[in-house]
Amino acid sequence: MKRVLLLTLAVLTVVLIIIAWFQSGGVERRALQLASTPEQAARLMLSQIQSHKFDAAYNRLANRNDVDENTFIREFTGSYGSLLTISSLEGFDIGVLHATDEEATVRAKFHYATGVGPLDDTRDLRVQRTGDTWKVVWPVDSRAKLPPQVIPVNYLRWDVISRGSGDDWGVQNVDSPQVRIVSMNAIQRPDSVVLVGEVVNEDSVPAYVNVGATLLGPNDEELAQESSFDKIAHTLLPRQVSPYRIDFPNMRLDKIKNVRMDAKALLIAASADPVIAIDQQKLETNALGKKVLSGKLTNQSGQIVSIPHVIAAYYDSNGKVIWVSDGYVAQALLPQTPVPFAVDLPPDVAKNVQTYRVIVNHFELTT
Amino acid sequence: MRHTKTTYPPLAHQWIALLSYIFGLHVAYLLVQLTGVILTPVGVYRFAQLWVSDRAASYAALLSVFVGTMIFLVYFAGQLPTTLSAPLYLLALPYFYDWSRTADFRGLLKGVVLVLAAGAVHHVTLIFGSLLFAIPVLWLAVVDRGEERNAGAVTIRALIFGGLCAAGLAVVLLPYWISIIKHPIEQMPIPHASRSNLLLNLTYLTNYFFVPYGMLIVALPFVASFAAARRRLRPLLLGFWVTFIFGLGGTTPLPKFLLGRYFDILTFERFTLWAALMVLPLVGAFAEQVIERHGKRAVLGFATAALITLLLPMGWMAVTPFSPNANINVDAVDAFLNRDGHDRYRYLTLGFGNALPKVSTYTDANSVDGEYNSARLLPEFTHYGTAQLTSAKYFGTSGMEALRMMLRHASHYGLKYIFIRDPYYEPLISFAGWRKVETYESGTITVWSKEDVPPARPIPSDAMPTALEGLLWGTLPLASSILAILFAFLIPDRARARSEILLPFPERELQGAYVREARS
Repeated sequence: MKRVLLLTLAVLTVVLIIIAWFQSGGVERRALQLASTPEQAARLMLSQIQSHKFDAAYNRLANRNDVDENTFIREFTGSYGSLLTISSLEGFDIGVLHATDEEATVRAKFHYATGVGPLDDTRDLRVQRTGDTWKVVWPVDSRAKLPPQVIPVNYLRWDVISRGSGDDWGVQNVDSPQVRIVSMNAIQRPDSVVLVGEVVNEDSVPAYVNVGATLLGPNDEELAQESSFDKIAHTLLPRQVSPYRIDFPNMRLDKIKNVRMDAKALLIAASADPVIAIDQQKLETNALGKKVLSGKLTNQSGQIVSIPHVIAAYYDSNGKVIWVSDGYVAQALLPQTPVPFAVDLPPDVAKNVQTYRVIVNHFELTT
Repeated sequence: MRHTKTTYPPLAHQWIALLSYIFGLHVAYLLVQLTGVILTPVGVYRFAQLWVSDRAASYAALLSVFVGTMIFLVYFAGQLPTTLSAPLYLLALPYFYDWSRTADFRGLLKGVVLVLAAGAVHHVTLIFGSLLFAIPVLWLAVVDRGEERNAGAVTIRALIFGGLCAAGLAVVLLPYWISIIKHPIEQMPIPHASRSNLLLNLTYLTNYFFVPYGMLIVALPFVASFAAARRRLRPLLLGFWVTFIFGLGGTTPLPKFLLGRYFDILTFERFTLWAALMVLPLVGAFAEQVIERHGKRAVLGFATAALITLLLPMGWMAVTPFSPNANINVDAVDAFLNRDGHDRYRYLTLGFGNALPKVSTYTDANSVDGEYNSARLLPEFTHYGTAQLTSAKYFGTSGMEALRMMLRHASHYGLKYIFIRDPYYEPLISFAGWRKVETYESGTITVWSKEDVPPARPIPSDAMPTALEGLLWGTLPLASSILAILFAFLIPDRARARSEILLPFPERELQGAYVREARS
């Protein structure tokens, strides 16, 4: 009896562990180590990056003699306080685009969890056969490094002198800057009602702006309340215009009788620096078949912009704002170094777009 | 006192609240936790006495002091209710055994009251732990019944015990049951490492297996072999095995298969505690036998193993990525919230980890965040698989989406102030329209404010208990514990009630005769 009981418990334990091992992908993990197909090679590298085993991922590169390890690691962990410095690779999808016996191209979709929300990135990776295994050929960074230089700055700056340290923030005892909502358009989307428009700072001082909206029903009852959140440039210099977008999920336009808009403004210190140029803007269809507005951002100032945030307003032939989209740029903007950006827009909206306007919001990580 | 939450058994917290009037909050917490820690060896001793000799039981009790899982739950996981209710159940089990086996009415009375008190401390231990412990004990009672008693009668008495406990707990925790029926836990599962396959991650394996069990892992094959050879110990061995398998979380499919969707609600480190407590009588009996055979060498071996088991979690505490960071000084945060009417608004902390409740304890301002996951009703929490917003980044996209959703609804909740102790969150807060207003603790804590947020309004909810529920909540759990204490002192146990047998002390002359005989 003793032996039977012991044996039964031991065998049951082992069997249960083996079943769970299969269920949780232990076998696939083991197979992945062999990297016997292009897909496995790419999957292995990305799973190592996901687990922060950067050395192991680097050592498996086919061209590691041409790629600096630190540069490779920074591709995933970011630098200069960029968005990738506050992110982690949460998942990835791999698809083989084409393959021969010796070489293949795989499309990798990276899903990052970042400090501002999810961020997706797509790259086509070249994979080549080395003996029995496949290895990823990482693209060599060919960006030219700028020589040290002095960039003179000549920009406007507004400071605010408060009464003293005892003042509560927001209690300024001065008139709020004059801001005005210049347009508002309510759009029915499949799963939501979206309010888009523009707000202008009509004052001669900078303003910190928040736009909120309350939807009212047939009896003037409050249906929902939302704010522009991060789909607006909160800091507006004098005469500056920002697009805004307010989403009301699970709402129907036909239920709404009125919208109460509210633009709150606060006097703040601000400067026109950094100046970020937006070049090569164009509406196009990207490699994934999505409609995007793409272009390049160039930081014309001397300081680094850690996290750029692109907000684009789209207009129809009557000059009415018909959509606002936004996106965070994963790379920091180094002085004079162009960085590409792309923001999505729905295909049904894209066909009505006549013009568009892009502004860049930014955040500087201080640590 | 008006009770606003009945979503978690209140007894441990009520004792802390009561003692805090005398000792202050911190010392009161320490005292209640200390009670759990001290009761553990007592409970293990009493429980072990059912299975093994008194000497072996005393070894089990001694070894329970060194068990890593207890240290893990007290110092890492902050599982006060689990670590307090487990020894209370252990203390109740001998009474359950006595009543079931011999119809000892005192056992029924004391056992039921102890179960009520234990259930009023922790519901998960009540639902799962009590069954895992009680079934082997019932089996033992049947085995030990003797020829003059009927197995059916033993089982019926056990059912009576169970029925009385169920009825008592239905009353003592009535507001909890009402609350859980009204708002069953239907939120998105929150990921927890204890549910994963521990074999696929060395850190998890260390945290949930090596550290909690320590040298018990080495002892397990010997102990299992020892117990399997003894008929009386087999129920305990089987009970331990089932609990042990549950403690492995997703390392085997059994817990998921048996628990279904509740698998994603539970965390499994508590099963490890129960498994460790359950195996201790077997370890004690094994130790007794080995010490008898090998003397000091065996004692040294067990002492070394116990010490390693104790030191393992302490060492792990220094290097673990799960280390709690509750030692943050939050005085400035509370001072800010308590001045100039700032408590008219709600607040949020980000990057405060386990210091989150420290902030809420000392301020009148309300937060939209909170510690107990299963009680949350706001859709910003329940629609995403995330725990506390203060640790949102550790839950990846789900955590940050929940945070984004909460920030979007800041005006609705009157969420004006955000305290950040991790620069990770600063970009989102800044892009969302908050501005940095103050800095504390040499810049490690920053205060952010949003201008257009109106003062907080009460959020209507049917989760608020009625006045009667509040009355029950405030009286019955405490009464059950006071009754348990009174019964412990006033009603003697059957063993203690036994008439004492006086043995004559050996006389001097007799000892002398032995010595003379030895010399000859």
